[in-house]
Amino acid sequence: MVEIIEETKGKDGRRNLKVAKENLVELIKDLKSKGYDHLSLITGIDRKDRLEVVYHLHNMKENVYVVVRTETMDERMPSISSLYASANWEEREQYDMLGIVFEGHPNLKRMFLPESWVGHPLRKNYDLSKVQYVNMDEEGNDYATFDPGDGW
Amino acid sequence: MAKVKSGEGGALTTTIDQAMEWARSNSLWPLTFGLACCAIEMMAIQASNLDISRFGSEIFRNSPRQSDLMIVSGTVTKKMAPRLRRIYDEMPYPKYVIAMGVCVIQGGPYHLGYSVVLGVDRVVPVDVYVPGCPPTPEALTYGIMLLQKKIRNEAER
Ligand code: SF4
Repeated sequence: MVEIIEETKGKDGRRNLKVAKENLVELIKDLKSKGYDHLSLITGIDRKDRLEVVYHLHNMKENVYVVVRTETMDERMPSISSLYASANWEEREQYDMLGIVFEGHPNLKRMFLPESWVGHPLRKNYDLSKVQYVNMDEEGNDYATFDPGDGW
Repeated sequence: MAKVKSGEGGALTTTIDQAMEWARSNSLWPLTFGLACCAIEMMAIQASNLDISRFGSEIFRNSPRQSDLMIVSGTVTKKMAPRLRRIYDEMPYPKYVIAMGVCVIQGGPYHLGYSVVLGVDRVVPVDVYVPGCPPTPEALTYGIMLLQKKIRNEAER
């Protein structure tokens, strides 16, 4: 049995489970075997001293959701892309926006921004005053630059 | 008495120009370029209530090679800007751009964001600006009519 730190009920009646990072994969595996066959969303929250990752799982047959929350102090999380195929892109998005490194992810690249973009824009310490511009090279690959004359 | 052809007839060029501009202004074929919420209002001008075919803009073309007018409707992100420029470059001359909505004009509600281009006029030259969030389909129709007026006046410059 996986140790759950805290279990609450949301306003909409969803079960809200909080687990330690080490037990995450085990818990999600457990929930998947209990019929939660659809990973509907992964979100990340920057709490300044730590990063929180939230998984929303959906049971298609009974139409119930469960929310799994977990925290990381060192920007690293175990990947669940071997359990749910849709986690692949969701984790890439969290990596792109918040810089959470998912260990064991097969292809951890940026999802939306060009590879050379500096920083992760949804982090609280991201500096908005340093404007970056995007342009396309001859092969059609995007690149980011700080030079306003080279890009938009 | 038969008229001798003298080669004088300066008025003729202007007339052809005017006829050309009149024809051009009444066959503005727009390119589908909906990027965000404004696109829903842009689609409405094609529908039966405000049918833009009445002004000669028959249908929205899906290829830049077959269109004269680019209605940029919706937030232009930095990632989209190089693609927008490429599509604009692929359109044949003469080509016109309408900037629809405050997002396209100067960034709109997202002007403090990290990812939004502050005005499509940084990427392509714009002929008519239609402000609003979103502009009503009537306003866009008026914008198209203003553009037609502008094209017709090109001959008289
Ligand atoms: S101007 Fe308003 S309606 Fe138009 S794309 Fe921007 S936010 Fe959406």
